[in-house]
Amino acid sequence: MSIAELIWVEKYRPTRIDDIIDQEEVKERIKQFIKTGNMPHLLFYGPPGVGKTTMALAIARELYGDAWRENVLELNASDERGITTIRERVKEFARTAPMGKVPFKLVILDEADNMTSDAQQALRRMMEMYANVTRFILLANYLSGIIEPIQSRCALFRFAPLPRDAVIARLREIASREGVKVTEEALEAIWEISQGDMRKAINTLQAAAATAKEITPDVVYKTVGYIEPKEIIELVNTAFSGDFVKARDKLRALMYERGASGVEILRAIQRRILSGDIQVPDEAKVEIAEAAADIDYRLTEGSDEEIQLSAFLARLMLIGKKYGLTTTTKETKAPSKKR
Amino acid sequence: MSRRIPWVEKYRPRKLSEVVNQEEAKKALLDWINSWEKGKPSKKAVLLAGPPGIGKTTLAYALANERGYEVLELNASDVRTGERIRQVIGSSMKMGSLFGFRGRIILFDEVDGLNVREDRGGLAAIVELIRESTWPIIMTANNPWDPKFRELREEAEVIQLKPLSVDDIVTILRRICNNEGIKCEEDALRLIAEASGGDVRAAINDLQAVAEGKRVLTKDDVAITERAHQYDMFKILDRVFHARRFDEARSVTFLPSFDWENYYPWALDNVPTVYAKSPEALSDALDNLSLSDVIRGRIMKTQGWELMPYMLELATAGIALVRNKPPLARFIRLSFPERIRLLAKTKETRQLRDALINRLRAELHASSSEVSLYYIPLLRLMASSDMFRKKLLDRLTKVLGYSLDSVEKALGIEVDRGAEGSRVEHKSAKRSGQ
Repeated sequence: MSIAELIWVEKYRPTRIDDIIDQEEVKERIKQFIKTGNMPHLLFYGPPGVGKTTMALAIARELYGDAWRENVLELNASDERGITTIRERVKEFARTAPMGKVPFKLVILDEADNMTSDAQQALRRMMEMYANVTRFILLANYLSGIIEPIQSRCALFRFAPLPRDAVIARLREIASREGVKVTEEALEAIWEISQGDMRKAINTLQAAAATAKEITPDVVYKTVGYIEPKEIIELVNTAFSGDFVKARDKLRALMYERGASGVEILRAIQRRILSGDIQVPDEAKVEIAEAAADIDYRLTEGSDEEIQLSAFLARLMLIGKKYGLTTTTKETKAPSKKR
Repeated sequence: MSRRIPWVEKYRPRKLSEVVNQEEAKKALLDWINSWEKGKPSKKAVLLAGPPGIGKTTLAYALANERGYEVLELNASDVRTGERIRQVIGSSMKMGSLFGFRGRIILFDEVDGLNVREDRGGLAAIVELIRESTWPIIMTANNPWDPKFRELREEAEVIQLKPLSVDDIVTILRRICNNEGIKCEEDALRLIAEASGGDVRAAINDLQAVAEGKRVLTKDDVAITERAHQYDMFKILDRVFHARRFDEARSVTFLPSFDWENYYPWALDNVPTVYAKSPEALSDALDNLSLSDVIRGRIMKTQGWELMPYMLELATAGIALVRNKPPLARFIRLSFPERIRLLAKTKETRQLRDALINRLRAELHASSSEVSLYYIPLLRLMASSDMFRKKLLDRLTKVLGYSLDSVEKALGIEVDRGAEGSRVEHKSAKRSGQ
């Protein structure tokens, strides 16, 4: 019994390589590996939700059939990224011979770019030492997070974001199988939120289905993680007005109560400014874009999202002061009180 | 007005007999020094181990005082590279002791404070010194089981000190109150002792903070103890904000009580209020804190601890030295960070949630941060939806073996209901009331 079968992302995760959406070139080459029984270590990289984990699991199933769990060690490096894990768990698994007739075992290492470089060095040695009995599939968002010696020991595959039509078609299919009504505009809204990230798209669809009988764009915006434009506009205008503490409280509500991630909030702000919902002169737009790019980078490098976004709010406050953007707040305050 | 003497110093025991409730440690220490005096030391060095503030250094000085030794101390505030240690100790090894002393005891205080980068070779030098030493050596450490001390442990006898009980600490505090002529309610002392978590130094400091200059100390005076216990972080931030020079701000990072992980939420919460009047100062301070956090992230990822000084400098001096720094009151009003309070309040819930996350991350092939970011909010919505509710809650209670209440807690459902929160608190209070 599992919880996962209730979660659509898992319920509809393709189990065969052929069923995976898009990524045609990757699929061709990997099928070739499996056919010849000669597979090198693999390194899949690309943004989240485009099929890296699904592909790795599908490979495991094609290689081992139902017995795949016995021959696969699945680790997520962002939870177990220390050198001890690599030394102990991976080594223990990798050095014993595979069960039955299969030629080799499989280690799937998700978010491998989050591993410390020490751990990666240890891993690199093991990839060589146990290559006769174990193959590694490493999954990463950024190739740059993987040390060169590992890159050179793997066949590299880039996973591109999924195309719009493929995502929408898949959503439509799931909705009809689950008996959920969803409008075309709502599908469009889900696409806008998720872009080429299938996991996010399906998650958003299910969250919307949990919220209302018929899914409309309004329903979509109200659901998980996605921040309503109005909240963003209020946040930015409060920062412009110079009331930092109040802006920070709004930020915390978004982060800790709504569970929005730092990058999400940052990009939502940028979207609202470009869409004209928040009116600022073009010179200010340039400065905001510069600050946003800076903080976006720091969010991926740093360790504390609240610190990073607080610094961004402080910059917005300075920009607001410089361009005299304090007046706009009153208009947005009024409707929020009615609620 | 005369300078205030810290009670911690004023009442530091001078004799072993004044040290409260460490009988086994005292005996071990005496046996060891006796073996030295007979010319056949069992081991040349001892390592006094135990949590902060239970009297490790005090014990060393009391022993020296009682037996007539002169103490040569090197502690964390000194540079302790291998070279420096050899220089200081090595030369004194050859010299005789001052007139009137029986000999010397060398004290390496807080050896776990040895900085691997700055005190390069320090540990190796100490080990070497122990082997060659003609004087008894005492070391202190909070955690002697740190792997880096392996060699050191082989050369030294480890003497573990007992954590002190609340009663022990109350005894010590009462002795001080009597001496200062302050009437103290038993409950007041008990509160301070409990808040100290076994740290006598903290307890005495807290007592002085609330009692000095008073005739009578009541329980109400101590109601702020929890805050008094945080004295260190308040003081640290106060020093940072008031600093005018780079070094002045940076110096807090050398304090033994400086806890850099804890420092970030404190700084983040207090910068906006302290610099409320100057957007430039606020923005500069947060920008530097953000850069410091970037370095922190890099250190975590690459284990590049050599970057740590930059991280600390940006987080301290980067807050102190800002454009348009507003004039600050002599006493700045600082607040306890909201985030820590939130986290403490939700401890039980977080434990439940962690178990749920662990289960889900295996089933969903995702990391725990992905689970909490993407799936927990989804489950929460599902749990309040006609379409999924029943199936989901059935499944979760069975798979995790939790009660329905706990499942809802783990999902954070009560937290969202807000108004009904009191109902839930009431219920759980009854259950845990035994």
